[in-house]
Amino acid sequence: MAVQSWSDLLKSSKKTALIHDGKRKIHYLFTDGKEMAEEYDLTTDELTVRKWRSKSTFKGHGPWEIEVGEPVSSTVASLESDVIKENCSNPIFLRKDTKTSFQWRVRNLPYPKQVYNLSVEPDQRCCVIRTTNKKYYKKFNIPDLDRSQLPLDSSALSFTHVNNTLIVSYKKPKEILTLEHELLCEVKKLKGTNEGDVDCKTQ
Amino acid sequence: MAAQMATTKVPEVRDITRIERIGAHSHIRGLGLDDALEPRQVSQGMVGQLASRRAAGLILEMIKDGHIAGRAVLIAGQPGTGKTAIAMGIAQSLGPDTPFTAMAGSEIFSLEMSKTEALSQAFRKAIGVRIKEETEIIEGEVVEIQIDRPATGTGAKVGKLTLKTTEMETIYDLGSKMIESLSKERVQAGDVITIDKATGKISKLGRSFTRARDYDAMGAQTQFVQCPEGELQKRKEVVHTVSLHEIDVINSRTQGFLALFSGDTGEIKAEVREQINAKVSEWREEGKAEIIPGVLFIDEVHMLDMECFSFLNRALESDLSPVLIMATNRGITNIRGTNYQSPHGIPIDLLDRLLIIATSPYTEKETRQILKIRCEEEDVELSEEAHTVLTRIGQETSLRYAIQLISTAGLVCRKRRGTEVQVEDIKRVYSLFLDEARSSQYMKEYQDSFLFNETTLDTSKPMTV
Repeated sequence: MAVQSWSDLLKSSKKTALIHDGKRKIHYLFTDGKEMAEEYDLTTDELTVRKWRSKSTFKGHGPWEIEVGEPVSSTVASLESDVIKENCSNPIFLRKDTKTSFQWRVRNLPYPKQVYNLSVEPDQRCCVIRTTNKKYYKKFNIPDLDRSQLPLDSSALSFTHVNNTLIVSYKKPKEILTLEHELLCEVKKLKGTNEGDVDCKTQ
Repeated sequence: MAAQMATTKVPEVRDITRIERIGAHSHIRGLGLDDALEPRQVSQGMVGQLASRRAAGLILEMIKDGHIAGRAVLIAGQPGTGKTAIAMGIAQSLGPDTPFTAMAGSEIFSLEMSKTEALSQAFRKAIGVRIKEETEIIEGEVVEIQIDRPATGTGAKVGKLTLKTTEMETIYDLGSKMIESLSKERVQAGDVITIDKATGKISKLGRSFTRARDYDAMGAQTQFVQCPEGELQKRKEVVHTVSLHEIDVINSRTQGFLALFSGDTGEIKAEVREQINAKVSEWREEGKAEIIPGVLFIDEVHMLDMECFSFLNRALESDLSPVLIMATNRGITNIRGTNYQSPHGIPIDLLDRLLIIATSPYTEKETRQILKIRCEEEDVELSEEAHTVLTRIGQETSLRYAIQLISTAGLVCRKRRGTEVQVEDIKRVYSLFLDEARSSQYMKEYQDSFLFNETTLDTSKPMTV
C-alpha cells in the first residue's frame, strides 16, 4: 500500500457526529473497514476517549481497543472468568492527553520517584519505562507520531510521580498541534444532534 | 494458606511414548525416492514397483508445488500389489502440514446425506487454509503460586500467580479452570511458562537457570531456559491450519461448531460454501491467509456410481479442488448404476482426465523383502528356511495371506517358547488357516453338505445394483 498521509485518510473516512452527555462523539469509518471513535469534552475540547475496532479475520468484530482514555471496567464479567487476569493491585497503564502534550498515567505504582527510568528508543519507535527494582516495565509507542511519521524526540519526554501515580508527558510537536486543530474545526462543522438516536451513516 | 500445589486429585500430564497399533500399512514411511526422484529398490518400507513409485513421486512434486488444482490420478493394479501402500507413501511424504483425506468409495453411501454432498465435503476436507492471527500471550517465570481453598471446604478455589521477567513482575488472579490446569501441568515456582490469554492454555517451557542449583529430584527431560526479557504480555503471531470443510461447518449455523466433533454436519448449503470461497479468496489477497491444496484419496473407486463420476468431472474443474488420487483393482467391469462396461468401472470421459499409474505383481525377491519388513514391524523373528517357505506361500497364494501368517506363526512359536519362527510353525498355521484358493477348493468338494445348497443360483439373470 502506498504511504497515505494520516490527514488524507481522516478526510476520506466517513464521519458521524453526535453530542451526548456533555461530550462530542465522533465515529470514523475508514476505507479498509477499520473504525475509530473519539470523544471530546464540549467545554474544554479535550480528547477524552479514542478507541479502535477492526474486523477480525474470522467472522465478526473484535473488541474495541482503547488508545486514549480509561478502559471500561467490567468487574462483573471478570469476577466470573475462569481463566486468568491481572490482579487489581497491579499497575494500570492508560493514556490521557492534554492540549499540549500526550500524557500517560500509571496508577498503583507505590515506589519512590528515583526508581523510575524513562528512555526513548528511536529505532523501535517506542518509549520505555524501567524500574531499578525490576517491578515494572512498559514499552509503549505513540500512535499519533507513527501515523504522521514523525520522529521521536527524547527531550520532549518528562515524568513526575504523585499519589502512587507515575505521569509521563511527551510534548506534542508543532505538526501534531496543527493537525489536531484542523481536525477539531472539521469535526465542529459536522452536524450533530443533541438526541441519542442519530442516523449513523457509517453503519 | 500458601499451600504450594499440595496433593490434588487432578490427573497429571505425563510424558509417555505413544504406543501405536500395527496396521496393514504402518511400515510405510514414504515413497522411498532419492532427491532426483529415482526410486530405491528397498526404502522407507516400500519394495519394488519402481515405475509406479517414480510416477507417484512426480505427482508428489506437483502437489507440493501447490499451483495445479484439479488433477486426478488413478492407481490401478491387481489386489495386493501395493496401491494403497503408494497412496500412504504419498501421504507420509507430504507431512502433517498438507491435508490428506483418505476415504473408501463406499463411504459416500449414506441415508442422511446425498452422495454428492459427501463427495463435496471430502473435497473440501482436502483443502487447507493457513490463517495468521495475532494473540496475546503471557510469558514469564513463576515466582509464586498461591491457592486458597474456601474455609467451608466447598466452592470455587481462588488463587494468585506471580510471574516475572528480567524487567518486571505482575500478580495475576486465577480462575478455577486456570488453577486446575496449573496443577495438571504441575507448574512450580521456578518454571518458565507461557499462557495464551484468550484460551488459558498453559505450556511449560522449562525451568529457569536461576533455579539450576536446586539439586532436588528432577526428571531427565528437565530443560533449563533463560528467564524471559521485557514485558510479560506479548503479542505473538500464530498460524492455524483449518480445512475449508471446517470453516463451512462453523459457518453453516444450523449445527454450530460442535458438529465438527460429532460428525453430524448434515448438508451444507451451496450459498454458505460460495460465501466462504469468496471470503477465503479475499483473505488471500489481503495476505491474511494462504491456501494449501491437499490430496483426496478414494480407495475402491469402482464403488462410486455414475452420478458420482459425473460430479467428479465437474468438481475437478473448480480452481479450489485438491489433487484427487483414486485406486481400483477392477478390470473391465460394469459402471455402477448403469449396464455399461468400462475399464476399471470408470466412465471413459473421466478416465480421459486421469493420469493412470499401474502396479504389477511382485516378484519372488520382492515378496521376500516385503515379508522381511513386515516381520520387523510385527516384531517376529523368522528363520531362514521359514522365510523361504513363507515367500513361497506368498507367491503361490497371496501376499496378504502370507502376511497374516506372520503374526499367527509368531504366536505359535511363542507358545512353544521358541525365539525364532521355524518351518514347523509356518506349517502349523498353514494347516490351521485356509487361504482363498484352498477354501474354494474345499467348498467345491463339500458343497452338498452346506446349508441352502438345494437352491441353484440362477446365473442367467444379471445382478441388479
